[in-house]
Amino acid sequence: MWWKWLLFLGMGVMIYFSFVTPAPQRMIGEASRVFYYHIPQAWICVLAFLMSMIYSIRFLKTKDINFDDKAAEAARLGFIFCILATVTGSIFAKVTWGSFWNWDPRETSVFILLLIYAAYFSLRGAVEIEERKATLSAVYSIFAFVTVPFLIFVVPRMTPSLHPEDSVVNADMKFTMGPAVRMIFFSSLGFFTVLYFWMFSLAKRLKRMERIESEKED
Amino acid sequence: MDGNYIALAVTLVVWVGLFYFIMSLDKSVKKLEEKIK
Repeated sequence: MWWKWLLFLGMGVMIYFSFVTPAPQRMIGEASRVFYYHIPQAWICVLAFLMSMIYSIRFLKTKDINFDDKAAEAARLGFIFCILATVTGSIFAKVTWGSFWNWDPRETSVFILLLIYAAYFSLRGAVEIEERKATLSAVYSIFAFVTVPFLIFVVPRMTPSLHPEDSVVNADMKFTMGPAVRMIFFSSLGFFTVLYFWMFSLAKRLKRMERIESEKED
Repeated sequence: MDGNYIALAVTLVVWVGLFYFIMSLDKSVKKLEEKIK
């Protein structure tokens, strides 16, 4: 229980400092503060999709339906965080580039990623037989995750983009942030990760109870 | 800078609301788990 209140206070303090300290990138200005939220959300999106793929592999190996439930819940949370990262990115785009959506390579690749995972949920909704649904979506989830590193890390760097590239590390893989910015950024990353695992734990427990209830009814 | 304080207040309100929602959900899940046991 204590860690939940620690998360509450820690996130609150992080939010406070993210707005009262100088903007992380002075060239960009106040809009660069979105960096404290946008990157952790994008990180959670990748982490959740990775977990979905791992649980899908475990389902295919064991045929344990609980792994399929976990894969679906992880993908659902990943999708939500992907939307949040897109929204915060669009706010940044409006302030710095003048429009919420510019079909920039980064925006286009995240849009494709959202479509890929929307198709995952459509697939789950379209197949009624439980075993078949779990197997098909597990295979799809594995292939869907293969696209994630390309769409998030590779494709946007292959073509010229408006998106800042050296927000965290530069071309020499060295941190570009000052000590205060680094402190706030990594705190945000940590708190968002804890929040994600908490949400994931609740989602999978709810799903398990739903399954127990439906088994009782049968 | 005033804009920053407005954004700070809005973000804090969103965080408190989200935390309250997840805490309520957490309690409901625990109750349901005890009921099922």
